[in-house]
Amino acid sequence: MEGNIVLAAKFIGAGLSMIGALGAGIGIGLSVQGALEGMARNPDTYGTLFTNMILGIAFSEAIAIYCLVIAFLMLFVL
Amino acid sequence: MENVSPRRHGFYRWFVLAFIVLTVVAVSFFPPVRPHILVASEHITTSPLFTLPVIGSVYLTNTMTTLLVVDILILLLAWAVHRSMSKGGLMPGGVAGVVEAGVEALYNLTETTAGRYTKMIFPWFATFMILVMFSNLIALIPGFEAFGSLERVKAGEHGNAAIQLLPGVMAITNQPGEFVVVSWFRGMSTDLNFTVALALISVITTQIIGFKVQGWRYIFRFFNVTTLFNKPFFGVMDFIVSVLELISQMALILSFAFRLFGNMFAGMVLLFLVASMVPVFMPSMIMTFEFGIGLIQAFVFGMLTLVFMSQATQGHESGEEHSG
Repeated sequence: MEGNIVLAAKFIGAGLSMIGALGAGIGIGLSVQGALEGMARNPDTYGTLFTNMILGIAFSEAIAIYCLVIAFLMLFVL
Repeated sequence: MENVSPRRHGFYRWFVLAFIVLTVVAVSFFPPVRPHILVASEHITTSPLFTLPVIGSVYLTNTMTTLLVVDILILLLAWAVHRSMSKGGLMPGGVAGVVEAGVEALYNLTETTAGRYTKMIFPWFATFMILVMFSNLIALIPGFEAFGSLERVKAGEHGNAAIQLLPGVMAITNQPGEFVVVSWFRGMSTDLNFTVALALISVITTQIIGFKVQGWRYIFRFFNVTTLFNKPFFGVMDFIVSVLELISQMALILSFAFRLFGNMFAGMVLLFLVASMVPVFMPSMIMTFEFGIGLIQAFVFGMLTLVFMSQATQGHESGEEHSG
């Protein structure tokens, strides 16, 4: 029985840790919104805006990836 | 010549249909196996390769074999380009043309960011990008991680039964048993050792480039005491900000390593789980998605290295106007 409780706590912890993806999702949405508005106003800046947008997305995505790594560690390692 | 005439819907779609039917038939004979997912890379050999005094035993892991394969592939590519270039033609054709276009695009990208230090930064940027790209994409070859040696699981763990296909060739089934496949190859970026090593190389080289370009003055980036005595308040603020910069360089190692590892490991887990739950048609879509993710992660890794290296070449004088 104790083993089952530990297993349940593992799954709950992994699920809870993924709440952090919320902020990263909002951040990615905001950065894409800004880049798209810039591209719509000034289509010539497409290249630089796209590169910088990808970089910004990668930075905010990293936060979600940290949560994902924690979740994986809980599920598969601990 | 009728076969090459343009058709409304190409000929190759019948291949797609044939492969889907083949998958359905194959899945009905061999139901997919629940994957055995491990964060650490598995040891292929039971005895260590060599033993170091402090670090301990070093085993041959399945990511190291992949690293060998990727290195050989890159060397073969370089050799093919070299052979094509030394023929002396003005127009490189075939593989060399593709590589030249790619390298030229990378070089132009470096030039727009790094300016006159392009020659110093470009080798690091291109090496990271090509190595990470190859290591991300080679894991997407179908069946790349499916072949390996059978091993008995430890007591109490989940395992699968094994059946014999051909003499000497075994396959595991979805029945519970005591065997597990330790695959010979595995995507390199799903091993934290690889990504941490790349991140360390990237961050340390950034500091070396900074010292090379700016001399000993580069230390003011981390311990900014230049304005500490003639501007009392803002001097202290500058000092605190520069110490924060030092901490952020430390955090950069973690961020580099975990971004690549997390993305590729999540992709691997997604691919395995989807392939074991919906084995028909879905894995190919996930693989297409993973192809894009692998390319973007390689691009991001190289691009961040480029940006931080070119930041290190810019002195504090140019950074002063937006700090005040």
